[in-house]
Amino acid sequence: MSSMVTSSAPETSMSPSRVALRRALRNGSFWAGGIILALIVLAAIFAPLLSPHDPAAQNLDARFIPPVWSDNGTWTHPLGTDNLGRDYLSRLLYGARISLMIGMFTVLISGTIGTVLGVAAGYWGGRVDLVVNFLITIRLTLPVVLVALVVVALIGSSLTLLVLVIGLLLWDRFAIVMRSATQQLATREYITSARTIGSSTPRILFREILPNITGPLIVVASIELAHAILLEAALSFLGLGVQPPRVSWGLMVAEAKPQLMFRPWMIMVPGVALMLLVFAINLVGDALRDVTTPEGRA
Amino acid sequence: MFPYIAKRLALTLLVVFITSIIAFLLVHLSGDPATAIAGEGATERDIAAIRELYGYNRPLMVQYLDWIGRVMQGEFGRSHYLRMDVGTILAQHIPVTATLGLLALGFALLLSIPLGVIAALRPNTLIDRIALWIAVAGQALPSFLFALGLMYVLGVHYRVLPISGGTTWAHFVMPSIALGYYATPAIMRLTRSGMMDVMQSDHVRTARAYGLSPWRVVIRHGLRHAIIPVVSLAAVQLGFMLGGSIVIETIFSLNGLGYLAWESIQRSDIEVIQAILLVIAAAYAVLTLLADLLNAALDPRIRIS
Repeated sequence: MSSMVTSSAPETSMSPSRVALRRALRNGSFWAGGIILALIVLAAIFAPLLSPHDPAAQNLDARFIPPVWSDNGTWTHPLGTDNLGRDYLSRLLYGARISLMIGMFTVLISGTIGTVLGVAAGYWGGRVDLVVNFLITIRLTLPVVLVALVVVALIGSSLTLLVLVIGLLLWDRFAIVMRSATQQLATREYITSARTIGSSTPRILFREILPNITGPLIVVASIELAHAILLEAALSFLGLGVQPPRVSWGLMVAEAKPQLMFRPWMIMVPGVALMLLVFAINLVGDALRDVTTPEGRA
Repeated sequence: MFPYIAKRLALTLLVVFITSIIAFLLVHLSGDPATAIAGEGATERDIAAIRELYGYNRPLMVQYLDWIGRVMQGEFGRSHYLRMDVGTILAQHIPVTATLGLLALGFALLLSIPLGVIAALRPNTLIDRIALWIAVAGQALPSFLFALGLMYVLGVHYRVLPISGGTTWAHFVMPSIALGYYATPAIMRLTRSGMMDVMQSDHVRTARAYGLSPWRVVIRHGLRHAIIPVVSLAAVQLGFMLGGSIVIETIFSLNGLGYLAWESIQRSDIEVIQAILLVIAAAYAVLTLLADLLNAALDPRIRIS
């Protein structure tokens, strides 16, 4: 890795993705965000091994144990316990799984919808563009939190439904960005050349257009990943997202809300975790934007 | 200008019409309203009777046309839970949310425009950095957490502001800050980039060359031009905030549309839910329409193309 950073090969002779990678590895916020993100992902993957207790196991004799840094804290429960005596650290680790899982699956759904619509609008233009623009306007007119709450409340909360609802709501930015990225490409000479030599439309779309819009696609994906995680947390906080016995950071904050006055750390712990995760994703996303935008190549 | 207004107006009507269908279908397809109204322990016959009484046994198309027809006459139906006209209920809650939205927007503008201007005049200085960090933190901080943090510091620790309810102006301070904070990054960025552009333009250089005071140059010749796109962004942000007020209103028990929506969702009061969805969507559509018209009035290039 270090040999790549220090190697002096001129960037002009390298493929754009290699240039981007090289720039990313020299970017401080990419490293900072990447390390935090990697730690949270590892914590989520190995939650069953790292958790000292079962996150759902209640122990009414051990309620409201303070975290280890306060006077009455114990190492048995490093982050203390909640109102039902459940181990806070274990809940925090399992909560990371929900946040990341919901974030990733929703971005897959919304990214697919938004990219298909955006590329179609940008490539064909005309009526297709009008229809897609209209769909985007409709989508923006619907209030996200309210629509998600209504659907989840009336159908009944499940992880699948949560992922579907958030995924079906957050595709607008993908569509907007992919549309303008494709529009910029559609008139380029190599696209017209591809058409002239008789390349089929699917071939042009998949071999010429898509590879060249992955930069903005990844950047939007990072923004929407953060957005989806925050939305899940907000829904869970309002009591209509992830349901017990599953754990979610938003749910932990909601359950700790009555303790605001006397045990604010119970809100702080899942709150800081959520902020760190979103902050790390944003850092990586910003770094990727810097390394993939044409201005960044100057 | 007139053809543009007509076109934009028609589009807005179409958008509101489509969203009314979506709002209707969302609440009617997501569950059986009759079962929800009957509650637990209702027999099959009770449910059938309710279905008959409220007209839920009719085809969806007929129900929708009936509803939208009445809405256009100003009749939003009746809440089965509150046993009141939905129109009356809305009239009680809309002023609260409107007040909250406007105060939040005011807070956002007061914070973001000066910071954006200073950041543009002095790029890469401490203030520019602070402005950037406010934006970065805003993106990572969930609104409910920010609201709880405000509550803890100002309501519990220092006890300077009430933490729940909406009877006095003081009750609106924290919710407005919590809601308005999320509109600041976008407004600040736009102000900053607009100011940077305009300060390099010829007329500003001329004003400077005339020897006008720096303040006069910045405000009269700079900000006056840079503020134009900010005004229309502010209208759109206000629309977003009306939709996002549900979280903030619920936390602060502020009895506006958002809180009403949350309560109505809990009690499956579908007549109220679909009315709120429609009202918020329509408000957003109208605000974006105003923003577009304003832009078109100020920039002839938009209305010609």
